[in-house]
Amino acid sequence: MKALRRLFLRISSPFSNEETEAELDREITAHLALLEDEFLSKGMSPEEARRAARRAYGGVEQAKQRHRDERSYPGLAQTLQDIRYTLRQLRRSPGFTLTAVLMLGLGIGATTAIFSIVEGVLLRPLPFPDSEHLVTLGDILEGSNYTSGGSSVTAPDIRNYMRETHSFTHLGGYGGKSFELSGNDDEPQPVHASRMNGEVFSALGVAPMLGRVFTQQEDDQRQPFVVLSYSLWRSRFHGDAKVLGSKILLDRKPYIIIGVMPRNFEFPLVPGHVNQSELWVPMSPEPWEFLAGAAASWNLRMVGRLKPGVTPEQAQSDAQRVAIETMRNYPAYMSSLRIHADVKGLQEDTIARARPLVRTLFFAVIVVLLIACANQAGLLLVRSIRRRREIAVRLALGARAAALLRQTVIESMILSLGGGVVGLALAGIALRVGLNLLPQTLPRIREIGLDWTVVSFALGLVLLTGFFCGLAPAFAAIQTSVNETLKEGGRTGSSGSGHTRLRSALVVGEIAVALILLTASGLLLRSFEKMRSVDMGFQSNHTLAASYSLPGKQYSTQPQIDTFNQRLLDGLRQLPGAESAGITGLLPASGFAGGISILPEGYVSSKGAGLHMAVSTQVEGDPFHALGIRLLRGRLFTEADREGSPLVAIVNHKLAEHYWPGEDPIGKRLRRGMPETSTPWMTVVGEVDDVKMASADSQTPEQFYQPATQVVASEGVFASTDELMANYGWIVLRTSVPPEQMENAMRAVLQKIDPQLVFTKMKTLDQVVSDSEAPRRFNTVLISSFAIAAVLLGVLGIYSVIAFTVATREQEMAIRMALGCERSRILQLVLASGAKLAAVGCTLGLLGAVAVSTLLRSFLFGVSPFDPAVLGISVAVMLLLALMASLLPARRASLTDPMLAVRGE
Amino acid sequence: MPSKEKESIQLLQGTLDLIVLRTLSTMGPQHAYQIATRLQQISDSLLNLNQGTLYPALVRLEQYGWIKGTWGKTGNNREAKFYAITKAGEKALGEETERWRKMAGLVERLLLEES
Repeated sequence: MKALRRLFLRISSPFSNEETEAELDREITAHLALLEDEFLSKGMSPEEARRAARRAYGGVEQAKQRHRDERSYPGLAQTLQDIRYTLRQLRRSPGFTLTAVLMLGLGIGATTAIFSIVEGVLLRPLPFPDSEHLVTLGDILEGSNYTSGGSSVTAPDIRNYMRETHSFTHLGGYGGKSFELSGNDDEPQPVHASRMNGEVFSALGVAPMLGRVFTQQEDDQRQPFVVLSYSLWRSRFHGDAKVLGSKILLDRKPYIIIGVMPRNFEFPLVPGHVNQSELWVPMSPEPWEFLAGAAASWNLRMVGRLKPGVTPEQAQSDAQRVAIETMRNYPAYMSSLRIHADVKGLQEDTIARARPLVRTLFFAVIVVLLIACANQAGLLLVRSIRRRREIAVRLALGARAAALLRQTVIESMILSLGGGVVGLALAGIALRVGLNLLPQTLPRIREIGLDWTVVSFALGLVLLTGFFCGLAPAFAAIQTSVNETLKEGGRTGSSGSGHTRLRSALVVGEIAVALILLTASGLLLRSFEKMRSVDMGFQSNHTLAASYSLPGKQYSTQPQIDTFNQRLLDGLRQLPGAESAGITGLLPASGFAGGISILPEGYVSSKGAGLHMAVSTQVEGDPFHALGIRLLRGRLFTEADREGSPLVAIVNHKLAEHYWPGEDPIGKRLRRGMPETSTPWMTVVGEVDDVKMASADSQTPEQFYQPATQVVASEGVFASTDELMANYGWIVLRTSVPPEQMENAMRAVLQKIDPQLVFTKMKTLDQVVSDSEAPRRFNTVLISSFAIAAVLLGVLGIYSVIAFTVATREQEMAIRMALGCERSRILQLVLASGAKLAAVGCTLGLLGAVAVSTLLRSFLFGVSPFDPAVLGISVAVMLLLALMASLLPARRASLTDPMLAVRGE
Repeated sequence: MPSKEKESIQLLQGTLDLIVLRTLSTMGPQHAYQIATRLQQISDSLLNLNQGTLYPALVRLEQYGWIKGTWGKTGNNREAKFYAITKAGEKALGEETERWRKMAGLVERLLLEES
């Protein structure tokens, strides 16, 4: 108790220091007076008495110090005193303080914001219990070059892997699906959903917030159950707990709501935030999914939880055994396909593609922070040089080096603490504003935020920057030579060359890293420009695109669908302002998932070349004209190309060049599948321009188009009974007026045909293209703004070092001028010193740029990392800015009054 | 000077506290000078302390809440800070005295046995 009381008093004592000191003074004075009285009464003279009293009392200062040590913790009291002193000093130079705090604030803020992305996306374990045991299981299809997303599986694969593997406590398959959600009086709405085996919920191990999830047994029994996401539950069902047990319609089929998942539950962990699953239904595969072409469609995925002690490698060889068995049982029409089981950590699978981007951003922002720190160290160094006399006096009076060190580090710490507070606020604002601007290629966006890890990271940054920025001036301070400084008589002419060298080194470093960022930004800008100038193969202006999906309940036969499509196209064509309308299975520039295997006639592949993959697109109406895709040879589809007529196809230029190089592709034939698959030939009737199916900087796929009405016939053995065509896709409409104006008219046409149906998406093609550019725009903008910040800081560094040197060399300049040196010569002299720093920095920066080129290469498009134009311009810009930064102090130097030389200080 | 220091008794940690408490307990409120004088008297100047040495002990005891200082006037109208022992201080004095006796007895026994 008493110890506690004392601890508290000792800690709090420094905060009431002045009172206590005054009180102590008073007490000591009183004590001495009493002693003096005593000696006086012994007959001493007043002078003798005073001296005797002092002697009896002992050293007053020592007594005070012992009192201080006893009433508080010696280090603490000293530190607090230093802090108070520093705060006073800082208040006296608000300009310096503000600059330093803002600079560090920007550096720390940017770094913290980017780190929150690093932490949320890359570092934090997935939001599932024991997530390190979660793995994905998929097939690698030999020769398919199928790289987008992770490895996938077919419906029969899911059945086989679930039944035959022994390495998983739970293992299940899932796949994405869009539904039309209706049935609770609200307007029908399109939703993103996932079909999942009941086992997937068990594997993930997340308990529902309300109700329950479906089991594998219920999945097998084809129970029409649905589990809602938190956001859908809030938005569509007003967060009402009574929805459990009620009925909703998905594609106009009834489902019963049995549960609601918690707010942070997200599965599958897809990139971006617009494609999140809003509800989950049992997988309950249809019989046709195990037959014909569906059995050779790798469009589902699997996730599992490893048994304790089982490694992913063991699980993979376990799964490989099953894969071999699966291949043995392949039907004849796909007997040449070869698969390999692939087991990967779910975390790795989720974040692998986001890693390079996030890493590069983090690297860039760290560079900015380093430059800010170097600048900070430079500023502090200047201050400590200005205070050299004060320091020398303190040293002469016996101040210990440690005390000086402590004080400098404390000053730096206080500044970076201020910077940290500003930085955290900035990071908070940036995250609030910026999260929606994050590219849709980043997964786990919802988990990004300022949590404790991020805040402690920022705190760590504060301590590190404070400490290291303080070190340089601190060592400069303790190296102060007392004699020299005091002898100089305040003249700061020639000495401090060590400090100057340190500052120059800092600036050279800043210039070097700033140049690295500047070249990176230049290369990215160049890449962006290159991407913008790519011919996408279609014309995006004046086209409106809308996606639709026909619910199977009402549109269960092909004639029903064909009638709908025909009515829709007719209705659209009659709209005033409409030029042409068509339907396409795939929209350019919106991304595509893999392709199918084809067999071109007469093409002999080199051994081991694998499958011939191409993107197949089904069309109706006139999408080529609506999208502005140029016909190179032959003809487009006509009304005559319908079900029952000879099978036809249009190929893109790349496909034609690949399989029939230098020949006219018209009249050539190709068919779907592998050599052993019996499918009918299609005759090529036209060749069209290559179209970018994803962003402009992506690979152009080989592509062929077919009339939707002929697809089933062309699939041969792959076709399943009751297979429906063109029951979903994109409607494209070329307009003579700005396409936005047609949106409502387009919706009205749909309403008239089916009042319940809504377009799941509607965008102008310009918007689609712009969306496809977003990831590149994002990293270009971010890296460029970091580069601008870095260059500005670097230039500021040059300016301050030159300005300071000029200020300390004022006398020297005056003497030079008094001796007849021209003003222009002085100007040159100073400019040259700035240029020298910049040149050395640029040389090092170029070397650095070469060193990081490998990191950057994957983000460049159409530009070499050593692009001479970009490197040249960056260096030129840097040098020019450096010269401009030195010009101001140089001018000031050249205007020095020669009288200064005579007058002295 | 050095020889003098050798002769004077080095104060055991906590001993000074005990002496101060005891002084205040028996003699009532005292100021630092009085306490110092009293110390010299009872130790026959063996405890050759600078009077300033007393201050840390006073701070410590005050922080423990065992003594309390208030400003007042001396007999010849000088101002001084008078320290008085508190209730907690009295209790602590009892405990400390007990502890001291035990310790002293133990050391005494030890010395007797060894000689």
